[in-house]
Amino acid sequence: MSDAPVLEARKITRRFGSFTALDEVDFSVGEGEIVALLGENGAGKSTLMNLLSGLVAPTDGAIRMDGKPVRFASPTDATARGIGMVHQHFLLVPTVSVAENLLLSASRRAGGAFSYPVDAVVKEAKILAGRLGWTIPWNQLAGDLPVGTQQRVEILKALRGQTRVLIFDEPTAVLTPTETPELFATIRRLATEGRGIVFISHKLDEVLSLSERVTVLRRGKVVFEGATAKVNEAILAEAMVGKDSEAAGLLRATTSLSPRESPLSPSPFPPSEGEKGESVTRDDSLPVTPSGSPFSPSEGGKGLGDRGDDSYALQLTNVSLRHANSSRPLLDDVSFAVAPGEIYGVAGVDGNGQEELAAILSGLVRPTGGTVRVGKVEPAPYADSFRRAGVVVIPADRQARGLAMPLSITENIALGAYDDPKYRRGPVLLWGALRERADALIRGFDIRATGAGSPVRDLSGGNQQKVVIARALSSDPKVVIAVNPTRGLDVGAIAYVHNSLRRAQAAGAAVVLISTELSEVLTLATRTVAVLYEGRFTGTVAPDAPREQIGLLMGGKSHE
Amino acid sequence: MNKTVRDGLLFLLCFACGTLILAGIVRAAGASPVAVAAALYKGAFGSRYNLAETVIQATPLLLAGLSVALSFQCRLFNIGAEGQLVVGAMAAVAVGTGSFPPSVQLLLCLVAGAGAGALWAGIAAALKVYRGVQEVLSTLLLNFVAVQLLAYAVRGPLQETEKYLVQSDRIAIPARLLLLLPASGDMPATRLHAGVIIALVVTLFVWVYLRFTAGGFALRAVGAGAGAAELAGISVRKTLIKTFLLSGALAGLAGAIQVCGVTYFLGDRFSGGYGYTAIAVALLAHQSPGWIVVSALFFGALTAGSSSVQTAGVSPVVIQVMQAVVLLGLLAFGYLRGRTSGSNVVKAGGADA
Repeated sequence: MSDAPVLEARKITRRFGSFTALDEVDFSVGEGEIVALLGENGAGKSTLMNLLSGLVAPTDGAIRMDGKPVRFASPTDATARGIGMVHQHFLLVPTVSVAENLLLSASRRAGGAFSYPVDAVVKEAKILAGRLGWTIPWNQLAGDLPVGTQQRVEILKALRGQTRVLIFDEPTAVLTPTETPELFATIRRLATEGRGIVFISHKLDEVLSLSERVTVLRRGKVVFEGATAKVNEAILAEAMVGKDSEAAGLLRATTSLSPRESPLSPSPFPPSEGEKGESVTRDDSLPVTPSGSPFSPSEGGKGLGDRGDDSYALQLTNVSLRHANSSRPLLDDVSFAVAPGEIYGVAGVDGNGQEELAAILSGLVRPTGGTVRVGKVEPAPYADSFRRAGVVVIPADRQARGLAMPLSITENIALGAYDDPKYRRGPVLLWGALRERADALIRGFDIRATGAGSPVRDLSGGNQQKVVIARALSSDPKVVIAVNPTRGLDVGAIAYVHNSLRRAQAAGAAVVLISTELSEVLTLATRTVAVLYEGRFTGTVAPDAPREQIGLLMGGKSHE
Repeated sequence: MNKTVRDGLLFLLCFACGTLILAGIVRAAGASPVAVAAALYKGAFGSRYNLAETVIQATPLLLAGLSVALSFQCRLFNIGAEGQLVVGAMAAVAVGTGSFPPSVQLLLCLVAGAGAGALWAGIAAALKVYRGVQEVLSTLLLNFVAVQLLAYAVRGPLQETEKYLVQSDRIAIPARLLLLLPASGDMPATRLHAGVIIALVVTLFVWVYLRFTAGGFALRAVGAGAGAAELAGISVRKTLIKTFLLSGALAGLAGAIQVCGVTYFLGDRFSGGYGYTAIAVALLAHQSPGWIVVSALFFGALTAGSSSVQTAGVSPVVIQVMQAVVLLGLLAFGYLRGRTSGSNVVKAGGADA
């Protein structure tokens, strides 16, 4: 083989209309090399990968394999030349078996549309799986498998004998802390087999622990390219979000320092040098985001028992939820209480009752057992009653639950104020006043938009979330329910969301943070992190508890 | 390029293509497109009488178009305007041929028509909200039920007192809408009635409701994002039911006005498809009340002018072809606009991320 990289993009440019998504970008991956591609949302990562996997064609520049220019006519063409892609969102058909899923993605072979070479496909996949040390339940329905196994099937789909470059698009987003190192081990093994790996992420620690080389994209340009060994989190963060931007400062504040040092809730105990040092050392095999200082004091030293029941802003007692025709409860005897000025963390792997808990806390679903109290009242199980009691929600799915996408920013802001007498005369809404409110929030929350009248559909993900947050937090809430509030956001926006939640907490709100992003929960929670597993709290820990312990709880192992 | 300008150009392009296709069809039928167009124009706008006929045709289309637009804005695909219009007309005839105080009989006719339309739509609303039945299906099927109900009514309870013809009695004089342009001097009488004024006032109300009131905002919010509206404390169920009832009332009112202003009685075939054309009216106007006035006039002119195209040597059926081409052009426009603004989203998302 020649010295030329397996896959290479040279001065590649892609324009969409007048917008330049990629501007003379150079990118390459060699045989057996793990290259990380880092960048914020909208930096051009997806466009670059779509170019490399044949989904879109470049406007200018060339793609080369082994030094020879190639043109991918289609994704199938790229696959045939040995480029595989493991998508962030699994493209498995949940209602058919693993074997049939593999068959669906297998390249068409002799026999035409009516052939059903499932045995041949499974045989080939078994060899690959065997090499990777995996046991796959070939005949189970794909939808019944744990997420980690689904991802393995997804990898097997992308992987064929002749696959030379494998692209992973944010592969850790859906995994548990224990599954992530296993994935990394797999990736390393694939690299030692001589395959080139492209690893797309915006998690700095993962990039640092896994890759050999890193390319950072910002606004469609390569702003950094070099060996991973020579960089640290600060350098990458700065490259990703820009040198003097406020976001870079925020990012450093949230990634490399103790979380409780937020300017909004100054900790009386600044971390010592030793702790700072610890937060940047990494264990190669177990990638972890630097968590809070291990000696974080419980704020003010008040134990929960010191409070009378009425001092809680939110209190759940034995809350359960079960479907009439299902034996397994969706939520099972969940009890907790949150005081004003506290961020209560709920961790857990996706699909263990988070959605249901959030629905109950928003008033969308009536629990089948137990009570929910907000302050002194027990609101009726309707979103309206919860809202009137002072509960605001930052929902997990901002496009379906948070925002009415075709409506303007003003109208979406109005969704949180349409029954406020300030904005209403009888049946008539005072759109002038609502518009002023929207303008004020656009300024106050730094929402980047052409104006209050533009549809939220046209905003970027981060700015959409800012609209949701602005609406929620501007109403001076007693209780804030935030569910995966940073999912899909870039680092700058993540820091922004975190600071907003801290601000609400500092203003005296009780915040419930339900998130599958463990480091987020550990960073933000003030006192307690509860772990949800199959609808139950398997345990509560302090936010500085060892990760292994939390990992065990997330996997369903209760305290012994 | 400015989005509005681009959309406008795109619209004109689709319009031009549609016109060319139509011209081709007319040509193929052996007539002159120009002559057909001239005849159509004359038939619709050529005289005081013809103009009045255009407005008369536009009136039920305006109200039924508002009905469709209101439900579409709430993302309810109520295609039952036809049935709601028919039951509205039946209710109006029932009241108009009954014995009521003359001073309120007209008002009662209109209220009964609106009420009956709301009730008819309410069936679909209840089926959707409590049983999860798709409104597209239920409202469409209820149209057929309404038409059969009409066939029964004019042979049964609503049949004329002589029991000879398959039609109802004429409604009492006090139940009829005022004629606006009776014969004057050497000008012939027209059938233009006060219903058009009612329809325009209702249009204004609908516009104000959608744009300025909390109820209208709830309707639009549920249509634009039911999940977000629900989380914000808006009752999606209530909003859906309310929208259905309002939408049905508008279509029912259209039927009642048609009875009280134009036909004065019910026959076996009453509506002639106003409720279906109304869907096109609403779509062409992009569900906006102001534009519905324009698009109702456009479709009204097509209907009013349809018989006069015979003078140019083609069958009036060509008007139905024309309506179809307008709709296809509209679909093309919507598709193309979606595509061009699709790249716009990438632009906005990419540029400020």
